[in-house]
Formats: sequence, C-alpha cells, structure tokens
Amino acid sequence: MKAPLEIINQMEADGVIGRYAIGGAVGATFYLEPSATLDVYVFVSLPKTGGCSLVTLTPLYEYLTARGCKSEKEHIVVEGWPVQFIPPSNALDEEAMEQAVETEVEGIRTRVMTAEHLVAIALKTGRAKDFSRILQFVESGVLDADKLEQILTRHSLLEKWEKFGNTFLGG
Amino acid sequence: MSDWLRRVLESKRQARRRLASLPFSEKIKLLEKLRDRSLAIAANPLRRKQVTSDKPLFP
Repeated sequence: MKAPLEIINQMEADGVIGRYAIGGAVGATFYLEPSATLDVYVFVSLPKTGGCSLVTLTPLYEYLTARGCKSEKEHIVVEGWPVQFIPPSNALDEEAMEQAVETEVEGIRTRVMTAEHLVAIALKTGRAKDFSRILQFVESGVLDADKLEQILTRHSLLEKWEKFGNTFLGG
Repeated sequence: MSDWLRRVLESKRQARRRLASLPFSEKIKLLEKLRDRSLAIAANPLRRKQVTSDKPLFP
C-alpha cells in the first residue's frame, strides 16, 4: 500500500488531482480490525479543465498509464493494488473529503475519512456489505454519536438510519 | 448461552479490539495478507461462482 500512496501523493503534488481521502474498507481499517478487501476506494476532487464545469478522470488515467499502470474495469491498478478513483457525487462525499483526518502508512502521509463519514456513506450506499461494516463500527464503539447524528441530519439520512436500526439493531 | 460459548465470544471480542488498536501501518500489512489469501481462494478452480448483489437493501 506504501507505493500506491506515494504515487497518489505525487498526483496531488503535480496537480492532477486535488484533495483526496481514502474511504471504503481500507478507510474503515483505520478504525476497525482489518477485513479482506480487493481494492481501494480513493475519493478525489478533480481540477476543472478549460473553464468547463464537467470533471473528467482522463488526465488522471493518462498520468497513471504513462507510469505503467493498467486499467481494469472500474479500477486502475497502481503498484499491484486496484484503485477506484471516485469524484465526489454529492455534498456528503465533499464534506467527507474536506474533514478527512491526516495519518501515515509506513511513513507516507495520507488522509482517511472520519468514522462517522464512512458510516454515513455506507448507509447512503446501502449494500449488504455496507450494512455489515456499519454494524462493525457500532459494535466497536469508535463512533461519536453526536457527530454522526449531525452528519445524518445534514444529509437527510436520519430516516434511513432509523430503518437500519429497526432492522439490525433491534430498534 | 453456555459458559463455553460466552468465553468463545468474549475471546473473539478481545481479539477484535486488539487488532483494531494496532497502528494503521500494521493493520494495512494484515489487510494485504488477507487480500493475498482472498485472491488465492478466488483463483481456485474448485470455487463456485459467488453470488453477490450490489443493489441497495433499502432503495
């Protein structure tokens, strides 16, 4: 994971991407026990090009393929790790990236989304594996309940949270 | 719940807490090992195709 992070940091330094933050299972591993995952979700802000409001992943892919990385379906393989670069698609993603916490992996600086944002995004995404991860967060006791409630309120996710609680946490 | 099962569950909880409290770099190394194992299992021809859904449970 050290080598992919070095390349992603270099992309940020070179202005190919803006701020980034790790989400998904790798992000969750910052707070929880490690669990098997095959890929890395990296949320990235992308610079707008040519005065156009559309964002494109093309410069990012060109940068990486020029350095020997190969694309595979929705991933691009960076130093052996399939990485999915995800531009923020809503205000929750934007906020999660802005408030991501700084950390290090083997001396390489990086950013990971907060536990509460990871839970909110998992709730919004709503697949079975997302719910399983939310339960891990709840059981681990790492969540700040007030902070989570504020995020869920801000992003209109309280109803979903209630439904989740009724189904998996016995109301 | 029997005492035996209670001890097993408590032991699992402790192991989880111990793993969760490791430094991030250490956890990433474990995650890489888990990933290698998952890939080895996935490559086994005897493995049946996994049925998963990426659809939200609560649309």
